[in-house]
Amino acid sequence: MVKKYTSMAYASADELIFGQAKFPVKAGLGLEIGGGYTSPEVNYAPRPGAGASKEKLIKEYERITTDIMARMVQIGAPSVVLETEHVQQMSNNPDWGGAVAHAQKTIMEEYHDEYGIKCALRHTIGDIREDRNFLQLRGDKYNTFIEAFEEVANNGADLLSVESMGGKEVFDYSILRNDTAGMLFGIGVLGSMDMEMIWSDIADIAKKTGTVAAGDTDCAQANTAMFIAGGLLDKNLAHTTAIVARAISAARSLCAYEAGAVGPGKDCGYENVIIKGITGMPMTTEGKTSTCAHSDLMGNLIMECCDLWSNESVEYHGEFGGTTVQCWSETLAYDCSMMNVALKTGKAKDLRDILVLSDKFRDPQGYVLAYDNAYKVGQAIVKDGENNYLRAKNAAIECCNIVEEGAKSGKLRLTRFETNALAKVKADLEALTDDADKFVSDNLTKFKQEVAVFKPENYGL
Amino acid sequence: MLDLKLEDIDGILVRYNVALEKEMTPDEAAEELYPKDDLIYPVAKAIYEGEEDDVVDALQAAIDAGKKPIALIDDALMVGMGVVTQLYDDGIIFLPNVMMSADAMLAGIEFCKTQTTEIPVQKGKVVCHVAEGDVHDIGKNIVTALLRANGYEVIDLGRDVPVNEVITAVEKEKPMLLTGTALMTTTMYAFKEVNDKLLEKGIKIPFACGGGAVNQDFVSQYELGVYGEEAADASKIADAIVAGTTDITALREKFHKH
Repeated sequence: MVKKYTSMAYASADELIFGQAKFPVKAGLGLEIGGGYTSPEVNYAPRPGAGASKEKLIKEYERITTDIMARMVQIGAPSVVLETEHVQQMSNNPDWGGAVAHAQKTIMEEYHDEYGIKCALRHTIGDIREDRNFLQLRGDKYNTFIEAFEEVANNGADLLSVESMGGKEVFDYSILRNDTAGMLFGIGVLGSMDMEMIWSDIADIAKKTGTVAAGDTDCAQANTAMFIAGGLLDKNLAHTTAIVARAISAARSLCAYEAGAVGPGKDCGYENVIIKGITGMPMTTEGKTSTCAHSDLMGNLIMECCDLWSNESVEYHGEFGGTTVQCWSETLAYDCSMMNVALKTGKAKDLRDILVLSDKFRDPQGYVLAYDNAYKVGQAIVKDGENNYLRAKNAAIECCNIVEEGAKSGKLRLTRFETNALAKVKADLEALTDDADKFVSDNLTKFKQEVAVFKPENYGL
Repeated sequence: MLDLKLEDIDGILVRYNVALEKEMTPDEAAEELYPKDDLIYPVAKAIYEGEEDDVVDALQAAIDAGKKPIALIDDALMVGMGVVTQLYDDGIIFLPNVMMSADAMLAGIEFCKTQTTEIPVQKGKVVCHVAEGDVHDIGKNIVTALLRANGYEVIDLGRDVPVNEVITAVEKEKPMLLTGTALMTTTMYAFKEVNDKLLEKGIKIPFACGGGAVNQDFVSQYELGVYGEEAADASKIADAIVAGTTDITALREKFHKH
């Protein structure tokens, strides 16, 4: 039985700050994440074709790891985390993942032994639980998925993560049709159910192997919404709708921490600001330093309470200033240095507020994720923390209220289209039942008919 | 918490989307574009509104009044969808509206087919797939919906499609265009294999690629590749081919923006 959050870890939003978590996490070689300083977390993707064989892939990750560690030492960075997001070959063949983790950790240990640099290795298992046409969240694929965690945990990975995909089939259909109930059902209900299952098992592996169950992100859904929404001039999805999906995702991603994860949450979870407020656990975020992977309209703001600061992902290749992983790790390290100076000089809250204000009014998404508003979404979640559906719905409604208030103040300017989309989402939400069983039953019937690839048995339904 | 004064915000960021928003509402703009024919207008309007049942009702009324089902596909359904795609291209409506309209239009086509033995003529055939090893298909689903909305027959091979299956489908279907989408750098490498195997068989058709980590530099590396930055580019590339631009270099000139 998982313990659900019914209160906030922090007494006020103002306590949320970068580099400090109420419950820091010790990991890897000398790191204490959230223990009073920030560290860069570098993420990378092998070159196309590098996955042709196990040997080729290991060699690629050895180059990447050496490049990063060498650059960190060259510029005097005190700490670094490396995140390896598995390519499918590494999770489908757990021994590949284990071999890569071992090769990377061996190099990191050499640097730690020689220079004392604090470091840790995160491995993010690919969510391979699907076949050609359908999600296959339970069964044989699940066994391989869990085995992939065990292999990396036994071979040098310190932090275990995943970007799980439960509910995505319903969400993908719904987000393209402005179906608010479908968004809530996909992320808040189906996503949460799957999260509770997988994270109980991942937490058990972490306990058994002395590693850290670090957390999940709703990349598959909330980031899909954010990317479809795109920039200010894109016409693919109202940004007011995208931020509602994000608010719902906080209720979903929280399930990992209720099932035994302890942080640091994974970088692309923009919902991590909300989750840090609820759990007090350290979080990774990404923003201006992840422009190598995508654009997000809140490049400074999202640094507000990070404990690790990430670049999301960059393909490994050469640039004028070295390889990409060297260039981006260096950028991350200088950002962290700035935050760490602010922490030491008593200026952290000023820096945090400057970062927030530089983006807060750029877009409704950043507005809601500004720590003062994110904290309010957190409060709406824990108000009905025991009920996955109600808390997700609360988060969505609170998000709408926050955006409305921002618009009323005149500071957050919305297009007429965004205003109308917001009004529609809010009206949809307010018309929904408070009875979780009825909501699930109604939507199960509806989406079984409308979404051919939706298989309720994936969720034990 | 520090705060900004209202008058200070404009110096820090500009909400260009607010500043440039069109005066006309989407409904007003659509009203100006609907065909005036009393029987066609309700079909077009129901498509714009994405109401499948209303589309079928309006088609039934038109058939009852003597319109031919097969002609209604081009004269009513495609015209209604044309209103929707023009509003989308003009930045007046957003993608979910187009998707719902496309669903309604397809329901209308299916209805028309049940009312006649004639076979509708389409603008051309396009084979679509997601790269081998990649299961992220939301981009491909947008591409196929927009292609169908623009009058193309789509052979949707789905996601995680083995290279050889793509080649077999192209040999069998003989499409005017092949599309490939991928989210990850590691899977997009399959596009090059598709390209090479098509060339081995002497098949030279445009291969429109896009999505996630796919970029123009990568797509330019293989002979048949044409990069599409937006999902909507696929139907524009198809339109260009129908209009006579079949040469890959010429298509790249037109669609490669960087």
